[in-house]
Amino acid sequence: MSKKTHKKGHSRPGAEDPDHPTGEQQPAGAKSTERPLDGIRVLDVGNFVSGPYAASVLSEFGAEVIKIEYPVGGDPMRIMGTPTAREDSTLFWLTEARNRKSVTLNLREPEGAELFRRLVAKCDVVVESFRPGTMESWGLGWDVLHGVNPGLVMLRVTGYGQTGPYKDHRGFSHLAHAFGGLAYLCGFPGQAPTIPGPNPLADYMVSLYGVIGILLALRHRKKTGRGQYIDIGSYEAVFRQLDEMASAYGAFGKIREREGSGTVIACPHGHFRTLDDKWVAIACTSDKMFARLAEGAMDKPELASDSAYGLKQKRLEAREEVDQIVGEWTASMTRDELIEKALAADVPIGALNSIEDIFADPHFRARENLVTLTDPDIGEVTVPGVIPRLSETPGRIENLGPPLGNMTEQVLRELLGLSREEIASLHCTRSV
Amino acid sequence: MTDAKAKKKSSAETGADAGADKGRLPLSGIRVIDAATFIAAPYAAGICGEFGAEVIKVEHPLGGDPCRNFGTPTERGDTLAWLSEARNKKSVTLDLRTPRGVELFKRLVVEADVLCENFRPGTLEKWGLGWDVLHELNPRLVMLRISGYGQTGPYRDRPGFARIAHAVGGLAYLAGMPDETPVTPGSTTLADYLTGLYGVIGVLLALEYRDRSGKGQYVDAALYESIFRLSDEMVPAYAMHGTVRERTGQHNLIACPLGNFRTKDDKWVAIACTTNKLFEALALAMDRPELATDARYGEHSKRLECRHEVNEIVSAWCGALTRDEVEAKCQAAGAPYSPLHNVADTFANRQFHARRNLIAVDDPVLGDTLVVPNVLPRLSETPGEIKSLGPTLGQHTAEVLEDLLGLDPAEIEQLHRDRII
Repeated sequence: MSKKTHKKGHSRPGAEDPDHPTGEQQPAGAKSTERPLDGIRVLDVGNFVSGPYAASVLSEFGAEVIKIEYPVGGDPMRIMGTPTAREDSTLFWLTEARNRKSVTLNLREPEGAELFRRLVAKCDVVVESFRPGTMESWGLGWDVLHGVNPGLVMLRVTGYGQTGPYKDHRGFSHLAHAFGGLAYLCGFPGQAPTIPGPNPLADYMVSLYGVIGILLALRHRKKTGRGQYIDIGSYEAVFRQLDEMASAYGAFGKIREREGSGTVIACPHGHFRTLDDKWVAIACTSDKMFARLAEGAMDKPELASDSAYGLKQKRLEAREEVDQIVGEWTASMTRDELIEKALAADVPIGALNSIEDIFADPHFRARENLVTLTDPDIGEVTVPGVIPRLSETPGRIENLGPPLGNMTEQVLRELLGLSREEIASLHCTRSV
Repeated sequence: MTDAKAKKKSSAETGADAGADKGRLPLSGIRVIDAATFIAAPYAAGICGEFGAEVIKVEHPLGGDPCRNFGTPTERGDTLAWLSEARNKKSVTLDLRTPRGVELFKRLVVEADVLCENFRPGTLEKWGLGWDVLHELNPRLVMLRISGYGQTGPYRDRPGFARIAHAVGGLAYLAGMPDETPVTPGSTTLADYLTGLYGVIGVLLALEYRDRSGKGQYVDAALYESIFRLSDEMVPAYAMHGTVRERTGQHNLIACPLGNFRTKDDKWVAIACTTNKLFEALALAMDRPELATDARYGEHSKRLECRHEVNEIVSAWCGALTRDEVEAKCQAAGAPYSPLHNVADTFANRQFHARRNLIAVDDPVLGDTLVVPNVLPRLSETPGEIKSLGPTLGQHTAEVLEDLLGLDPAEIEQLHRDRII
């Protein structure tokens, strides 16, 4: 695996080359080659993104991540999404299983489970996303693993958490959006709720909370030597992000409903069509911003007078009128003209970017949000870069999702001291 | 709701009870200055506060953080959003636009481990409080900088809000019916929360590195980037095949059935059959096991080909039953299902109760309790806590200036008269 090298003639020594970002972030002035999680070893025994993305973030900042996969087929994410030249790796797998070593191990067999326990003794963190009770049924529950390694930090991600009456239900991001209250809010009032985009938002959200839990637990371990586990359900991550919705129901019985392309608390604050049949988002959260829109951008200062729509209350009462006036204005110009005009007046505006727009956008380039790596089997693959950006210890993408079992032998030999013969016999019994 | 109200208490802890070790939360001894506004960076500081950090909110003396006016007002003036999201914080007023305010702020930064801010890039620099200055004052400082577009790049000076970030980051384009106006992806504040999460991660990583090296650093997070990062294979699929992802309405097209369906009582349910086995379970729930063996519907790829037909069949089934009936049948057959909860549903749901996702916290100023979302994530040994809701403006100004900076009451009085605090 090698990072894309800068093309000759396009780069000056020491200059940023925004057209050819690599996996390595290099913010101006970053000095350190060390990373915050150097020396931390993570066993990722989860499937798909929900949970494993937490391990990815840790890996980007220095942790060694060993992915434990079922010997036949491995993580089912390997066949989810767009196939590539390598049979066991879709594009989804390549991008989100970054920075991993793949080790096959059949945890359903006593021999595989025993090897797993031996690996746990050598690791700092375990990430898992099986349904509650599954690890326990293999003799790999928290009590056992904690006994093997008292300093262990274990992230347990499920749809509904390790406790409660729904703990055994099946969890998917689509269901977490529904259960956590987000899906109900998406779409036009009185019409079918749409999905909040086809992206598995909940899978990522719950993993981010997982990273936070792991980092907090590692910090506690540093002080006390004691490990702990983190228990989180995807729906909880979704529910936590809905600002004051819960408090407003608790205090006033207010039920939030679908609000279409806008919001009931500000106006104009929504999506508008442009002359070239594209879309922009405009967000005027205050009277001052509306005045800037009316006077500076729309050349209609009269709209911002107190007797017209200058006051928020009036705008909210006449929402449809205001949205229509703004919509007529946006429809009179192309998207790019409109954005330029609005920004000149310091009005908050942005394009509703498709992925095509994103690839053409100079800001994404400049921020190295798109990173191209070269995989020996597949060639160039462009993936989202690392966030967040740390000034002194930036993150890295060293390789894309690995072939199934590419490091089984190496890890079992180096970490557990197994001989070639032992590993061969494990292959025969399909334990690895 | 009634259950949550019944648990009236002055402080709240998360549901994990085992071995709570109160005095020694992971961030005990860490001091965070939160000079930010609204939700993004403040939420990062809020999580630090839940896990033991002391969080000092620095606000403008006139009106303070505009988040105090964001959302539904309470009897004490500040909104519900403020009360919930400024949990565990101390409020100190300080006018950073004055030299004296800047000087006091620098002294606070010297005493701090972490500074959170989300002004537009260049604002703190204009006040003489940029990274270079603060880093020199306190080389161990970790600074979280959240903005709409980040600290670099051609758009860095543009105004940014979560709605704009949802658009720029590529999510808003994907929410809604094909060929209709794209809708808000459920909430107007997702990007704020998500960037807050990336922010905490950055802060914790930086603290980890500081422990080892003694060196501080800054974290640069942008609202649009957090949204963009949650896009599974959209990026490589476009780069390799030119595939442009589009809005898909109430269904997701990666599997079938995978979408939202209306029930007889005019409610909605989500069904997600991502594998053949799960479709089999659904067919069983529908009392039509033959669907799973039907040559047209048994295989994943076949179902996708005739997905309108499949969705019709599932819609008709859901439409003939109440939501509760659909739930009972799906549960019995192990079919992947969830109601589309509105907020009232979440308050009534047994799982939310069992997991204590809602917690009633007392506010002495309000003279009442308020239900807020509980701490996430849930740690077994060191669970987070909500000790208090959002403070009143300047509630802790005197305390902090006296205890931390050693000012005497006369000096503080003078600062009040000069409107510095």
